[in-house]
This record gives sequence, structure tokens and C-alpha cells, in this order.
Amino acid sequence: MHSSWMRIQNVFSYFTTVLFALGACIAVSDLLTPRAPVVNSLKFTNLQVVRGRPHYYSSKHEEYAIIKFSLDADLSSLFTWNTKDVFVYVTAEWPSSSSASANTTTNQAVIWDTIITAPSSDYLGNYGPATLKKLRKSAAGKSIDPSRGKLVLKNQRPKYQITHPSGKIASTEDVTLRLHYDVQPWVGVLMRNHNVDVGLWKKLEGSVSRTFTLPSLKKKDEAKKAKA
Amino acid sequence: MLSSLGNPRQAAAQLLNFGLIISTAFMMWKGLSIFTDSSSPIVVVLSGSMEPAMQRGDLLVLWNRNIWAETAVGDIVVYSVKGKDIPIVHRVVRKFGVGPKAKLLTKGDNNHSDDTELYAKGQDFLERENILGTVVGYVPFVGYVTIMLSEHPWMKTAMLGIMGLVVMLQRE
Repeated sequence: MHSSWMRIQNVFSYFTTVLFALGACIAVSDLLTPRAPVVNSLKFTNLQVVRGRPHYYSSKHEEYAIIKFSLDADLSSLFTWNTKDVFVYVTAEWPSSSSASANTTTNQAVIWDTIITAPSSDYLGNYGPATLKKLRKSAAGKSIDPSRGKLVLKNQRPKYQITHPSGKIASTEDVTLRLHYDVQPWVGVLMRNHNVDVGLWKKLEGSVSRTFTLPSLKKKDEAKKAKA
Repeated sequence: MLSSLGNPRQAAAQLLNFGLIISTAFMMWKGLSIFTDSSSPIVVVLSGSMEPAMQRGDLLVLWNRNIWAETAVGDIVVYSVKGKDIPIVHRVVRKFGVGPKAKLLTKGDNNHSDDTELYAKGQDFLERENILGTVVGYVPFVGYVTIMLSEHPWMKTAMLGIMGLVVMLQRE
């Protein structure tokens, strides 16, 4: 009894050691895979500022910016065998008007995001049966699907209408859009986009749009205030 | 089999050995805590609000020092608010201002709305001090043991019993 217990213990500890070593190897293999994501174009197509309330029962009135945009990006090189999914998001950024350092970005808000699952994690995604079937079909027989990271959006509506804690956002100057990504591995280190090359991982080129100024408040859009 | 009970010297050595293992584990945990500057450097995901990236039972490694950059939009952070014990793992989606007083808003990738409802009463934004750490490392499924143990208390008793038996029966 004593020796068989010892054997179980030994087998278990060997098993966990091998498992963790394997996991570490997989995590390190990420560093050896080149990544060269690129944004071909990112630009706003329509700007609108409306007045609204944070929720239906609120008496507070705030200004909301609705920024429509077009995007053409190729993030397919982020998909490797260890990639679980890639979280892609577009932020609007603008410096604070009052601060002396007007050039630094002090306000940043996500206006749109999406989760691109790798073929290995399609079953975890929040998809309807039809979408899931389509994804499965497109990736049949492939562990890495290069078409996954290609994003082409035209005049995309934002998912989030943004405001500032002060409730004022109309006529804000020096606003830029920026594309980001966050790679979620099956095991290992989470990696966001970076502005300098890190080893074999290239920086994200062309991720910033040109600056623009938000329009002033439209009086006609009063009807939309209950939304938001 | 129970011969060690008859030998007080051996029993004492085993007790010391057991204590050493526990204190080593404790010191490693605290050392990691100091290294990462986080009160709990390793957490287990308890909900599905960050799916598909993170499932229940996944283990997250946290980092709470802002050496290279401030906590920024897109970071997955673990935060706890006043009056709620359970820390929450969500993503920062808005940031207004810079420094420790910057206003941060979080949202779970799998949730439809942001976290304003989850914050303390009257609190609209998080500040840096609410954040326990930023998620930097990910190991799937390993933490499921702790979920099993906390949701089925009899398992905890059984495990402690087995551990105690092993210590008693073990011979050098």
C-alpha cells in the first residue's frame, strides 16, 4: 500500500511537471513567430454630437459623440497556433482642453470593438448557429485561418457613444481615432499592440487617423435624447 | 504502518517537515506579492463575463507596477470596489485624465453594458487605487481546483484529511 501510494504520487508529480514544461514551451514559441499587423486605412466618415441621458430615468443631460468610421486592416499575422482570440478595438483620443500639456492624450474612449476568435476557439465565441456554421466552414481543415484577421469596414456605426465626465464633448478639437489589438493566448503572456518593434513582433503601422474636430451640437437631434 | 506514531522523534521531524512546506508556500506567495506589488498576484476567473478570452477556472497572473506605462485603455484589470469582497476581472474601456486620479471605466467583453452598475453607490468611475493588478499572464483551467473546493466544502475536508493521512503514514 505504501509503495503504490508513492508511485501514484511520483506519477502525478511527473505528469504536472511535464504539463507545465509543455505549457512554458508553447508560451515561448509565440516569441519565435513573426507578427506584422498593419492598418491600411482608418478614417472617420461621419461625425455627430447629440444630447442625451445616460439612462432612461436619469435627469442629467450629456452630449454624446457618434463617430462613424471606415477601417481596412490586416491583423492575420497575429493568429498562430497559440492564439485563442484577438480583441480589436478603436478608440477616440483627445487632449484635455484645460491642462497645460495640451499635446498629451489625456482622454481615451473605446467607440467600437470586436472579438475575432481563432478556429480553435470558435466554439467559445458568442455566435449564433448560422454564424458558427459559416466560421467552421471557412476554417475547415485549417488550424490557423489567415482570413480571420482581415478587417474591412465601411462607414461603420460606433458601438459606444462617448462622452466626457463633464458631460461636454461638442466642438472638441484634436480628436484622433486609433486601432488597437489585444492578443489572448491559449497559454502565456497577453500582448497588446506596441509602438516599437519587440523582437520579431513588428509595431502596428498606420494605426492612427488624422486629427479632426467634433461638430457643435445639432439642435435637430433632440428627438434622439431618450436613446443611449 | 503507524510505527511513526510510536517514535516521537520521527513524528516531530514529520511535523516540522509539514510546517516547512506550508511556510515555504506562504513565503513564495508573499514574495510574489512584493515582486508584483499586488495583494493577490494570482487570481482565478470566477465568471463568464470575459468570454471567450477567459473561462471560469482560468488562472491569471497580475502585475501592479506602472514602470513602463500607466494603466491604459485596453488593459484587462482586476479591481475591487468598497463594500464588495469579490474582485472583478474586466477590461478598461475609457480613461479620462492622467495619473493616480484618472477616471477609469471598465466593461466585461461578454457584457452588454459597462460596469457603472457594479461600482459602489455614487461611484461612476474607478481610480488607480481600486485596481489590484493588470492581467499579464494566462494559464487555462488550473484554478478550477479552487472553485471546486470553495463550492463543495466537503472536498476541502476530504483533501485536508487525505493530506493529514499522507503526512502521518509517510516514512523518510
